[in-house]
Amino acid sequence: MGSALPPDGFTLLGGRIPYIEGPLKVTGRAEYTDDLQRPGMLVGRLLRSPWAHARIRSIDVSAARSLPGVYAVLTGERYPTPFGVLPITHDETAIAVGKVRYIGDILAAVAAQDEPTAERAIALIRVEVEPLAEHTDPKVGVTPVTDPIHDRGLNGSNVQKEVAQHFGDVDAAFARAAQTVRVRGSFAGVTHAFTEPMATIAEATPDGRLTVWSATQVPHYLHRALSEVLGLPMHRIRVIKPEVGGGFGGKSDPLPHEIACAALALETGRPVKVLFDREDVFLTNHGRHPTQNDLRVAADADGRLLAYDLSAVIDGGAWSSFGTVTTYYNGVLAMGPYRVPNFRYHGRRVYTNRPPSGAMRAHGGTNVRYTVEVALDELAEKVGIDPFELRRRNALPPHSTTVNQFRITSTSFLACLDAVRAASGWDAAFRQLPYGEGIGLGCGFYISGSNSPIHFTPKMPQSTVHLKVDMDGGIAVHSMQADIGQGSNTLLAAIVAEVVGVALERVHVIRVDSDVSPIDLGSYSSRVTFMMGNAARRAAEDLRTRLVRGASELLGYPPEQIRVGRERFEVAHRPDVSVTYLEALHRAMERTGALTAAGAYSSPPMGGSFKGARAGTAPAYSFAAYVARVRVDAETGEYRVGKMWAAFDCGRPLNRLAVEGQIEGSIHMGLGQLMGETLNYRGARLMNPSLLDYKIPMPAQMPEVECLLVGEDDPEGPFGAKEAGEGPLVATLPAVANALYDAVGVRFTDLPITPEKVVKGIELRQREGRPWKGE
Amino acid sequence: MHLDPFELHRPSSLEEALRLATAHAGGFDYLAGGTDLLPNYKMHLNLRPHLIALDAVAELRGRGLERLGAMERLADLERDTELARAYPGFADALAEVATPLVRASGTLGGNLLVETRCFFFNQSHFWRESLGYCLKAEGDRCHVVPQKERCYATFSGDLAPVLMALDAEAELAGPGGRRRVPLGAIYDAAGDGIRRHRLGPGEIVVAVHLPAAARARASAYLKLRVRPSFDFPELGAAAAAELDGGRVRSLAVAVGGLETYPRRFDELTAPLVGEHLSDDRLRAFSEAVMRAVRPVHNTFLAPDYRRKMTRVYVRRAVEKVRERSGAAA
Amino acid sequence: MSGLRALVRLTLNGHPVEVSCPDERVLLDLVREELHLTGTKRGCDLGTCGCCTVLLDGRPTLSCLTLARLADGRSLTTIEGLSPGTGLSPVQRAFVEHGATQCGFCTPGFIVAATALLGEHPHPTREEVVRGLSGNLCRCTGYAKIIEAVLAAAEGR
Repeated sequence: MGSALPPDGFTLLGGRIPYIEGPLKVTGRAEYTDDLQRPGMLVGRLLRSPWAHARIRSIDVSAARSLPGVYAVLTGERYPTPFGVLPITHDETAIAVGKVRYIGDILAAVAAQDEPTAERAIALIRVEVEPLAEHTDPKVGVTPVTDPIHDRGLNGSNVQKEVAQHFGDVDAAFARAAQTVRVRGSFAGVTHAFTEPMATIAEATPDGRLTVWSATQVPHYLHRALSEVLGLPMHRIRVIKPEVGGGFGGKSDPLPHEIACAALALETGRPVKVLFDREDVFLTNHGRHPTQNDLRVAADADGRLLAYDLSAVIDGGAWSSFGTVTTYYNGVLAMGPYRVPNFRYHGRRVYTNRPPSGAMRAHGGTNVRYTVEVALDELAEKVGIDPFELRRRNALPPHSTTVNQFRITSTSFLACLDAVRAASGWDAAFRQLPYGEGIGLGCGFYISGSNSPIHFTPKMPQSTVHLKVDMDGGIAVHSMQADIGQGSNTLLAAIVAEVVGVALERVHVIRVDSDVSPIDLGSYSSRVTFMMGNAARRAAEDLRTRLVRGASELLGYPPEQIRVGRERFEVAHRPDVSVTYLEALHRAMERTGALTAAGAYSSPPMGGSFKGARAGTAPAYSFAAYVARVRVDAETGEYRVGKMWAAFDCGRPLNRLAVEGQIEGSIHMGLGQLMGETLNYRGARLMNPSLLDYKIPMPAQMPEVECLLVGEDDPEGPFGAKEAGEGPLVATLPAVANALYDAVGVRFTDLPITPEKVVKGIELRQREGRPWKGE
Repeated sequence: MHLDPFELHRPSSLEEALRLATAHAGGFDYLAGGTDLLPNYKMHLNLRPHLIALDAVAELRGRGLERLGAMERLADLERDTELARAYPGFADALAEVATPLVRASGTLGGNLLVETRCFFFNQSHFWRESLGYCLKAEGDRCHVVPQKERCYATFSGDLAPVLMALDAEAELAGPGGRRRVPLGAIYDAAGDGIRRHRLGPGEIVVAVHLPAAARARASAYLKLRVRPSFDFPELGAAAAAELDGGRVRSLAVAVGGLETYPRRFDELTAPLVGEHLSDDRLRAFSEAVMRAVRPVHNTFLAPDYRRKMTRVYVRRAVEKVRERSGAAA
Repeated sequence: MSGLRALVRLTLNGHPVEVSCPDERVLLDLVREELHLTGTKRGCDLGTCGCCTVLLDGRPTLSCLTLARLADGRSLTTIEGLSPGTGLSPVQRAFVEHGATQCGFCTPGFIVAATALLGEHPHPTREEVVRGLSGNLCRCTGYAKIIEAVLAAAEGR
């Protein structure tokens, strides 16, 4: 553990700040949605489709409805308005209308007095369908098909979104390239697997209002979707976010069950709870897209990058979700941290009759990053230079622009490379370890908040923070930012306390409640620290101004001579002349009563003017360089990552405890995808919808992690900070893959890399007569 | 996920348990630690209206080097240093069962009789219904090896292979009386694979007995799985041997996690008795075990890999035994 | 609809409790739904996550797979019973100080399991902590700070 004292005159920021809700969480007192009870609450249950793709002929709910103890049975026609997280792709409904599109699609919703009654009612619903052709191969889905999954598929195919971009002249670059490398990556679908299953409670009251408590990362988008589908104005809906037991993107879409739960509440006039079991969670999915990508890299004789020629086919599952963004991201997130003067991308996202894919931590950036970094490892070998040197030669400089018009401001990527090279002992290890042991480098970058807010009136701020202080001196903080465990409440409180100069315990972050919380777009795209942080800083500065005015009046010195001390306001050149925080506060309150203050953040205009130009633009980017050490049992293919050195540029880390936690957790999640996590489909059927068969890594599989935080202050980030929630994931996978190559001489491009693939890879290499490291 | 209603009986003697079993013949399950039965019940797999809990039956308790009560908790067996010294392979296996939390409740008898597992069986009612069920529960066909006669669910206990290799016997008590059989005989190698054992109606595994010869043997158990905890074996290889300066006095090898029942390879080990356990012989033997097993595609790792690894894991298990015997290759 | 009921007597977090309980009820449901102690979490309901861990006569136990009736006459400790009043136990304090809880949903199960582990091994090695906690899943922390916290609690840090 480092020093508890933060640098640069801060009292909190930059240090290690324990999470403010920690004492509630460690005692079981933190309230998650399923912990809440409402008087007279009913149990909501969903009938899920056992068919992968079928037209609904009829649904007979009469027997279910007449079962004693059943309060409501709803089918799709009741609220048929389509919705979706992106305004341009509203293709979901709360309950299926006309068709079912995957095994697990919701056919009907029941509210009953208890769980057994609800289950019996579900079993009494009779559904007749006409089966349709099942589509499970996205590569087939790019062509016209029988029974396309949605009408909106391009030209009778199942293509939901197609992106074609070309910057510079890729063919000319390849024509003059001294070296080329091609990597074709294949990535199984993975899912968030947060520990808290989804849960929603809804209650409609006779005053015409609807209150919804839900395990959501984006309360605002849920608020909008509820309004659109249920036909209620937003001001009559109140969305409350209790504690959320992890999200990682899986709770960022407004989800059908949330709307169905609210519909049941409206129908019955009683509170209704829908609680998912683990299979429900897996079937709801919205995890990382199964992906096939193909990257050709052109470079000159010195390894300077000339061009990327990239294509991707990604399996979207049954709905659009974030898919349009995903399709762009799978291309444009190849554009850092290196200068690539020519770039062509062809991406297609294809509907299949599988649970929907969506946004998962390091959304759209993880798979393409793997392919890029593995290709660069190969390129370095071909050119005959060290992988670090290859990256140094190509690093994007600070304050530069990529060929697709990303505005790069701060970057400490070179510092990341230097730090991790030294700490890992790279120079004495690379290609020098015995056969079966390896060391590998993987790098990355990620957006620090999406510049373009989705589903939102563009002229409004992306984040707003309100403060209220009354005579007790406690500062209530309101914002719709959504803490899902990453520590954003703590950061919010710490920023306010730091700016106002008060003890952290004075600051109370109020639970997200749309009746009182000003809109913030929530926890996705790694936007919270940057955007909420800036809004919080501005709100706190606004409050400080009023307090300084109060102090100024009491002290008889002009405001510009007043300085913030610890719970005091002092005269800058005479620190002995001061008033306490409470004295200044009470003076400032004399005219208005309780003080209120507000701050907001909007990202500046950026990006080119071509179609899709905003995708991937962000007010800042994080950068990473990771080194992994692995040991492989070449006979069984089993391997273990022994250590990971993680150099990360998040600008100025504001809470080192949280940043380390994000890095360690990201490495865990990245290793999961690399080593064994997979949504295992046979056709349309998910074979492993359980935490037993979905292989989240255990403690003994985790490497020792050494975090090296080397960023410099970002010019626009709050106090110089950038994101640390998603960028730390992407470098993990290629670092290990490149270490596996160093260990056994095999390039793995098919994830997860199970032991059997390792054995097969080694056998193939041996058959081809390519011995490795004196094996 | 609530359990469907059943009537819970909690006998305090073996006699009472057997009486209850007779009274509810065909409509009950014995409940030991519950860590295998209750998840299956939550998934509505082969529910019975009566559960007979065995936790209060004193005759099923007790642990010593010669006799292990079937209701001994795995965590207690694991903590027993005397047992670990006498049967190191058994200690290997205990430490590999599921997780510490499962071992805190799970029992010896429960692990020996753990329900066989399959991707098409260990699923929710909804999931199985969407596929028309399977031979092992409510259906009439197998989805792994498409036909209607035989179930290919995989035996997934960790303890049976090593206990079989140690020549353990099962003490059984049923309404018809008591008997002792070699542990391997409780598994129905010739059956249809649907039932995991060949115990008589109401018959209980009372205890496992280990002969004096078992204490003269070194033993080892190695388990293949994706994660170092939680996962059932994709392959479990057990070996036990008495070596006389590298020469085989006795050798037994058994595997689990590959087929519907755990299996011992006496016909392959017999020729090694009296021989020097050289690396070459060991390799040939392991190869023969590999050729003998027929895993199917119903667990996480592919069957051809599990088969290939059988050769490696069996060899390594025997090597470990050799090492523990202090014998040279 | 539920089946037969029986009276279950427990010492719950140090206090006697009597509750009428259907045969098929598991401890997790009893604790959360009847006794309204919601600190014990429902993560998978199948014994595969460890979120619902409680202590039964001091032993860590998966409450989702334990029939409540079989706990009759025994001492049940939930996460709520581990700390005095509004204070924190040493393990709880270490979890807070070391940032071992992020989303917090797995935290009660980890703390109960860690408390049991330290009861048996007051000065565990890192390896013993890793093994002892290998029945609990965490998706946020990568376990690093959890292991650090348990070791710190053992050393009285």
